[in-house]
Amino acid sequence: MTIFLQTFVNALALGSLYGLIALGYTLVYGVLRFINFAHSDIFMIGAWISFTFTGWLGWSTGAPAYALPVILVLAMGFCALLAVAIEQIAYKPLRKAPRLNVLITAIGVSLFLQNTGVLKQVFGTQPQRMPSLVNDHVMFTLAGVGVQFVDVLVVLLAGALMLLLQWMVFRTRLGRAMRAVSFDERTASLMGINVNQVISITFGIGSALAAAAGLLYALKYGSLKQSADATWVLLGLKAFVAAVIGGIGNVRGAVAGGVLIGFLEMYGAAYLSPHLKDVYVFVVLIGVLLVKPSGLFGKAVVEKV
Amino acid sequence: MKTLAERTAAQRPNVALTALLSLAPLAVGVIAAFLLQAVLAPAVGPFYAKLVLDVGIAILLSVSLNIVNGFAGQFSLGHGGFMLVGGYTAAYLTYYGSIALWGTAEIHGGFMEGGDIFFMVACVVGGIVAALAGLLVGLPSLRLRGDYLAIVTLGFGEIMRVVIQRTGDVLPVAEAKQKGMLGSLTNVGGSLGFTDVPQYVSPTPWLEKTGHAGIFFTYIFVAICVVVAFRLKASSNGRALLAVRENEVAAEAMGVVTARAKVTAFVMAAFFAGIAGGLFGHQSTLSPSELGFQKSIDIVIMVVLGGMGSISGAVLAAIVLTLLPEALRNFSQYRMIIYALSLIAIMIARPQGLFGTKEIWETTWWRRLFGRRTKAEAP
Amino acid sequence: MSTAVTSEPVLTAQHLSLAFGGLKAVADFSLTLRAGALAGLIGPNGAGKTTIFNLLTGVYQPDQGEIFLGKQRLNGLKPSARAKAGMARTFQNIRLFGELSVLDNVRTACGVRAKSGLVGALLRTPGWRAEERAITERSMDLLQTLGIAGRAHEQAKSLPYGDQRRLEIARALATEPKVLLLDEPVAGMNTQEKHAMRSMIQQIRVDFEVAVLLIEHDMGLVMEICDHITVLDHGTTIAAGVAADIQNDPAVIEAYLGAPDDAASEGADGVA
Ligand SMILES: Nc1ncnc2c1ncn2[C@@H]1O[C@H](COP(=O)(O)OP(=O)(O)O)[C@@H](O)[C@H]1O
Ligand SMILES: [Mg+2]
Repeated sequence: MTIFLQTFVNALALGSLYGLIALGYTLVYGVLRFINFAHSDIFMIGAWISFTFTGWLGWSTGAPAYALPVILVLAMGFCALLAVAIEQIAYKPLRKAPRLNVLITAIGVSLFLQNTGVLKQVFGTQPQRMPSLVNDHVMFTLAGVGVQFVDVLVVLLAGALMLLLQWMVFRTRLGRAMRAVSFDERTASLMGINVNQVISITFGIGSALAAAAGLLYALKYGSLKQSADATWVLLGLKAFVAAVIGGIGNVRGAVAGGVLIGFLEMYGAAYLSPHLKDVYVFVVLIGVLLVKPSGLFGKAVVEKV
Repeated sequence: MKTLAERTAAQRPNVALTALLSLAPLAVGVIAAFLLQAVLAPAVGPFYAKLVLDVGIAILLSVSLNIVNGFAGQFSLGHGGFMLVGGYTAAYLTYYGSIALWGTAEIHGGFMEGGDIFFMVACVVGGIVAALAGLLVGLPSLRLRGDYLAIVTLGFGEIMRVVIQRTGDVLPVAEAKQKGMLGSLTNVGGSLGFTDVPQYVSPTPWLEKTGHAGIFFTYIFVAICVVVAFRLKASSNGRALLAVRENEVAAEAMGVVTARAKVTAFVMAAFFAGIAGGLFGHQSTLSPSELGFQKSIDIVIMVVLGGMGSISGAVLAAIVLTLLPEALRNFSQYRMIIYALSLIAIMIARPQGLFGTKEIWETTWWRRLFGRRTKAEAP
Repeated sequence: MSTAVTSEPVLTAQHLSLAFGGLKAVADFSLTLRAGALAGLIGPNGAGKTTIFNLLTGVYQPDQGEIFLGKQRLNGLKPSARAKAGMARTFQNIRLFGELSVLDNVRTACGVRAKSGLVGALLRTPGWRAEERAITERSMDLLQTLGIAGRAHEQAKSLPYGDQRRLEIARALATEPKVLLLDEPVAGMNTQEKHAMRSMIQQIRVDFEVAVLLIEHDMGLVMEICDHITVLDHGTTIAAGVAADIQNDPAVIEAYLGAPDDAASEGADGVA
């Protein structure tokens, strides 16, 4: 029972992170119909830039109470701007090109970010430990399981951001424009929507969420591997799997998929074998796609002939 | 109008000439492989010979992936996974097989004697096992398209990688003898890699040491792969693949069994990727982390850069992209950045790849430079 | 030609229905096409004509009804199997293999009847070589018939519009069909081209011994060349018979001829 509960807490925290990252994949896929391969690198930069800002602000060895919100806003803002710049420079010229090209470009961007990150003038090749910005402690004990403050923070903050996004997509003019572009880009532009602007903003929002996930990841797990390390890509990849399982392009599906993957991975690791956790994720992915290619919450599209 | 069957019956091809034309390219390939090994390798020395070898394996990979991604237009990111499957199969066979046959895992015999033949057969078996995996992965491609397929193939590669990582240590000779081949099936080295595999694929010319003719072996397979790709492209089966790429609905309506076409493409590509894995695995230590999705992505980049469906483009891109990082070695820490930026720049400046869907000699600039005047250009 | 029309039925559709969500695209559609027949399918935009082609060729499966080619029941078969059985079509929104050469477009379709397999192709056996030559020869003849042999080595996507429609027909004929379904073959053509296409269709029907079902907006053309005409409106058949009957049918005049806007939109491709 203790293991079960402990795993539950871990799974929920990890699942929330996956959900946050998955939202970025899903949003971008919604408006541009391509896998933004560089999204996992934005997540990585979100984590590293949080570390960097913490150092610059002198909070490495003890941070004030307002440190977390400040770093959060800085990291989200930085990654949003970075992503918009990337979109303008690398993706925008390819609006009319085959999707495969955009995908390769995204891989190029990904390689660029990873290898720029390891430069000694940037983040360097050494792994780092993220200083804890919050006073981590056991908040409460539930059936013998001490629930850490960080876990609660991760789940609550991630949940809040998801709700915020949900509200934005379904309740604001911007959200409506995003959905219009996602539904039919040409019609959207005929109806006076500035498609390019919507795409840029979508990139920015998705990347801000990834940055938040990066910061939360750093706080929860502490250690930051160098930027070209495969763990980042693998984390991003699993978040993408979450988006696909949930039905890519579907905001709620991404969150549900993220939580699902988190649970799958953590319970698989706890009860089956910890070494095969990536295998569970991909096996379930393949299974879901074979049964329902459009994902759990996605709608099937029939090609009009 | 006369039907195809009637017209075919009326054709009387010259059997001797046909046989000659059928074999000639392969013969040329074998001779070229021999010359690369016997003349070029000693002339350029071991460092560059190693590059020649790497280029060969890269060509094998990009030309074969081109069958799936370029011809059939299906987006596979699983080539590294197929390499892994083929490589481990072949390495398992040569390591434990050599122990079973000859009592040691050393290179056995001289040029094209027992050991070399055994190694080549092991590579082909690796290819066959990879092809079976390709069949398995090709089946989802019937239901999935585009990015989804990419992710499933990528997932397959990752699963393979993790499974290999969980295997046990390579058994030393004495223990391997005792356990037998079947008993050591799961002892392929885990995350440390498959060590002590006999290094049949070494760039050194065999004149210096018996049994080393890696370039020769590699380029024989390269020749077969390239000839197969060209023959496929110029046949009904190949046109069916191109038709699937161009317009799946129309292809199906014209009688192309698109499902079978796609699976065929996957199987053929996986076969050669498996062989490439075998070659790779006998050149250095085979390790699961080296054949992850990064490898798959590298190969996709070659295909896209060369131009989807262009065989000569795939060959050229494999050469360029293998040599480019070497050329940039002096800028070591910046070389991946330069590589990444060139990739982005090329995609933006030339979205169709270097040669589009055409072969190099079908492009307009080639014709302008080297072509004879065609009817269309005549006044 | 009147003798041919009374011969065996080659294509029979019985009570076909298909709905997309709430929209009944085709309702209770029946048709019998006899060997050598040239029949027309007309109706305003969105009437369900193309959807019927999609049902016949297996792109969509009907909610109800049956389809027979000769005696063979086609329900459940994939489009490729139906093509092998002898069903060929062109597409209203042209679907050529754009990057391939004109010749290769036709050769691809010839492949349906090819006997030698992959191994033959990879080894280049004499049998394969003979067949490959036959494929090329037949494809060139088809291009000749359609009048586009001069462009055999150009990319299909670079052809002018009218030639693309001709190539679609050549490609369909390459599959050696018993039934040829033409979806608006003269859309976007000028009067002169239409005229040429009309004689070409009549020629094809005789030379290839194929039954033709023609969707066309150009009423004049359909009335002139079709032995039998079916009129659709909102998925239902509102009239069927020879040209003279159709012309005088009040329901048709009401639904179709009475609406000059529809007739005027004939040239606009991609509207339907
Ligand atoms: N795949 C599809 N999904 C939804 N609706 C469709 C589809 N294909 C056709 N329709 C609808 O069915 C109706 C008939 O279309 P169609 O057969 O193309 O008409 P037409 O007679 O002009 O060829 C139209 O209202 C069209 O929008
Ligand atoms: Mg139509």
